[in-house]
This record gives sequence, structure tokens and C-alpha cells, in this order.
Amino acid sequence: METLRQILSPDFLLRNSVYTSVLIGFACPLVGVFLVLRRLIFMGVALPQISSTGVAVALSLPLWLGLDLSGHDSQSTHMLAFAGSIVFTLMAILVLAFLERRGRGLPEGRLGTAYVVAAALSILLLSKNRYAELGWLDLLKGEIITVSNFDLTLTAIALALVLVVLGLFHKELMLVSFDRTLAATLRKNVVFWDALTYLLIGFTVSMAVLSVGPLISFGFLLIPPLTAHLFARTMRQFTIFASVIGGVASFLGFWIAYQWDLPVGPTDVVLLGIIYALSFAVKKTTLLFRPKSPV
Amino acid sequence: MSEPLITFDDLAIGYDGRAVLSGISLAIARSSFTAILGANGSGKSTLLKTLLGLQPPVAGRIHFASPPVFGYVPQTVELDSLFPLTGFDVALMGTFGRVGPGRFPPHDERQLVHDCLRATAADGFAQKKFSRLSGGQKQRVLIARALATRPDVLVLDEPTAGVDAAATHALLEFISQIHAERKLTILLVTHDLPLVRKHAQQIIWLHQGQILHGTVAELFTPERMAEIFEMGVG
Repeated sequence: METLRQILSPDFLLRNSVYTSVLIGFACPLVGVFLVLRRLIFMGVALPQISSTGVAVALSLPLWLGLDLSGHDSQSTHMLAFAGSIVFTLMAILVLAFLERRGRGLPEGRLGTAYVVAAALSILLLSKNRYAELGWLDLLKGEIITVSNFDLTLTAIALALVLVVLGLFHKELMLVSFDRTLAATLRKNVVFWDALTYLLIGFTVSMAVLSVGPLISFGFLLIPPLTAHLFARTMRQFTIFASVIGGVASFLGFWIAYQWDLPVGPTDVVLLGIIYALSFAVKKTTLLFRPKSPV
Repeated sequence: MSEPLITFDDLAIGYDGRAVLSGISLAIARSSFTAILGANGSGKSTLLKTLLGLQPPVAGRIHFASPPVFGYVPQTVELDSLFPLTGFDVALMGTFGRVGPGRFPPHDERQLVHDCLRATAADGFAQKKFSRLSGGQKQRVLIARALATRPDVLVLDEPTAGVDAAATHALLEFISQIHAERKLTILLVTHDLPLVRKHAQQIIWLHQGQILHGTVAELFTPERMAEIFEMGVG
């Protein structure tokens, strides 16, 4: 309990890391819900990796241009990384979504190729980048240790924006996800709402990757919605359960990691996996003992 | 025949500029019950998508006497069972055309949905998960959703696919009833000839790249049926 008291203290040295982690935990599942419902889970694996490649490319640009960034503050580094992340993510999501909508070829193959090439490219870029030693590799691995007030504010604003857009247009985003034909006959601009869905996913993934890295981002995009889906009866329950599971798990994960001196991101993902496994077992047990309805 | 609501004027339909069917010139009367018949791959779905504005015609045009509101009832297999939605949630989507972005359906729209669910005898299972309903129950919810759009034309895409015989009979009786009560224009895509004979007034028969259009009495004569099926054999 002493550790918990420390973490909750306003003077806690890593408080920005806790806040960022919890923000990502709450926000990622909100867009992850749409990835799961649209059966785009493989896109959820590929996008964070492509996003981190965008970070690696952006951070390599100064080196390629012969600029010395060692004297620059972390804000400009963060903005540069964010620009690379968002540009790569949005480009990838639009191309992959377009190909997926055309329904030709092998979507899983395309996503798998995108994932593995992006991962390899990140490693190649960073192996030739002397600035990697300045902490950028930590950024790509998602070490949530040094989060500045600027980074936290940027994350909070971005995720609040996502929350507002999702809240305002949930009806339209759900309609085009569930029944595009109905949406078109109701004269909804299906392409616009599709694009907005992908924009939200891309934006959230970019923010999450910058804060917690690709592996943990994928964990928060996928596992909370899958867990919530076991119990939710309505879309509202599904969305709220997923977000709460993500937020609570990220806080508990931080607590456990701090208590036992473990890396925060991987602890979060393992904890989410345990929560999912337990929820699955509870659900199956409940179904087993539920009285059968009369025929 | 009453005034035409929809007129196909030398229409050609297909994909990527290639026509699957061409030379379609016919009219669908307001408040009529028209069945669209044809084998798999005959162009029924393409015709439906073109009519609903989901894909452009390859040539020709579709003329509407007044821009109609379509109440579309898809095949239930087209809707993903992964979505945690109740029957009411699904039916409520019918009102989304009138409720702008950023707004929630107001009380009167929700009341309309309750009324539509009651009209389709779906109110008893409206709070259950849509994915858990039987084929016939899902169709009733989807018809309620289509009615909630306040449609001029009800378009049903093989509503009896995957539905047992008793439920099929009840469903078509119900569609005939709302056609009579609400004077809706009905377009029903189906394979089921006995159902068409019993309920439809007009038939559009797509067969081997040809389009036959007429009343049930005109097309369901032994001579015309033999002619149609000889087209298939030959």
C-alpha cells in the first residue's frame, strides 16, 4: 500500500508517466472497439509498427540532412516524432483500408508484409542513427519513464479530441461500420464517415505509439475490447467496459511494475492478458451453469 | 396501372463499365408489389444496388416521379453478428437519416421505433441481442427498421433466405398486410415462385441476360413458363 500511496502522491516523480499511461489505457480501447468490430485486428498489429517506423524515419531525417539535433529540446524532438508517426500511420491506414474495401487479394498477407517490413525498416534506420543513443530507442520501445509536462499535455489534448469526436459522431461511425448499405440509402456520406473512423484510429495509434510504443499500443487496442465483448449487451456497454478495463489495467500495471521494478509497458500487456483469460473462464463457467431456457 | 414511381430508361447495369444487363426499360407503379426473380448471378443484386444509388448505371438512367425514401431490408447474413446490438438498437438506425450528426434520436423518433417494432410483432424480443434472434425474428426487426425510415419504397433482398417454411409464410403474409395498409411500393427479391404467385402483382424476371416484365397473370402462364425455362435449357 505504501507504493500505491507514493504513486497517488502529487509529488510523485513519475506522475506524468502514470497519467500518460492511464490516458492511453482509457483511449486506445475506444478506437480498438471499431478495429475489433470491423474485423481489422491484423491492422491493429501492423499500424503501431508502421507508426513507429514513421518515428524512426522522422528522427533520421536530421541525420540525412546533415543537421545536428543534439542541442534541441525534447519538445521539438517529440513534435518531429509525432509528425513522422501520424504521416506514416495515416498513409498506411488509408492505403490498407482502400485495398480492404476493394476486397481483392489476401488482406492478411498485405498486413503481415506491412508489419514485418515496417519492423525491419525501423531496426535498419536506428542501427545507422547516432541519435538513437539519446533515448529514441526507449521511445520506440515504449519506456514510459520520462514524460515531460509538454508530452502529457499534448497526449491529453489529442485524446480528449478523439473522445469528443467519438462521442459526437458515435451514431454515424457505428452505422457505417455495421451496415454500409443502409447508411448509403439514408444518404450518409459513407466515404467521409469511413475516413473519419480511420483518421481517429490513426491519430490515437500515433499518440499511443509515441507514449508507450507499438507492442503496448496493440495490447491496449485489442485486449480490452475483446474482454469487454464477453459481457457487453449493447454498444454503449461495450465501449465503456473496454475503456474502463484499459484504464484500470494501465494503472494497476504501473503499480505492479513500480512495486517489483519491472518495465511498465510489458507489465500492462501481461496484466491485460491475465484479465482476458480470467474473464473468458468466468464467462464459460457462467454459461455452463446457466439454466437452459425451455424449448 | 397507377402512375409510375420509378422508371428505368434504357438502363444498363454492371461493374467497372461492363454491363451485366442492358436495355432495361420498364416502370414500377406507385403502391405496387413487384417481385424481382432470377437465378444466382442473373443481376438481381446489381439491379438493386443501382436502384438504391449504391453504384452508378453503366448506361441509361433511372427516373423517379419524386425522390423516394428507400426502406432497405438486407439479407440477415450480411450483418455481422459481432456487433453487440439489441433489436431496438438495430431498428433505431432507421431514424438516423433524419437525425443529423452530433444529435441523439429524440423521444418522438424512439417512440416511432417502438411503434414499428410493435407493428412487425418484434417488440417482444426487441431488447434481446440481435445476433441471438432467429432468422424470422431478425427479419421482423429489419422490416421495423425499414419502416422507421418512413419509406416510400420497401426494398427486401431475399428476406426469406435461411428462414423456415412457417416463418416464411408468416413473413410474407405480414409484408402483404403492410403493403395493403400503408400503400407502400414493395420491391421483393426472391427465388420463391409460389410466394411470388401468391403475393406479388408485378414481376421482373432476369434470365440469361434478358428481362421479362409483366403481371403475375401474364408471366405465370404455362406457355410463358415453358418459354422462360427453354431459354435456360437452350
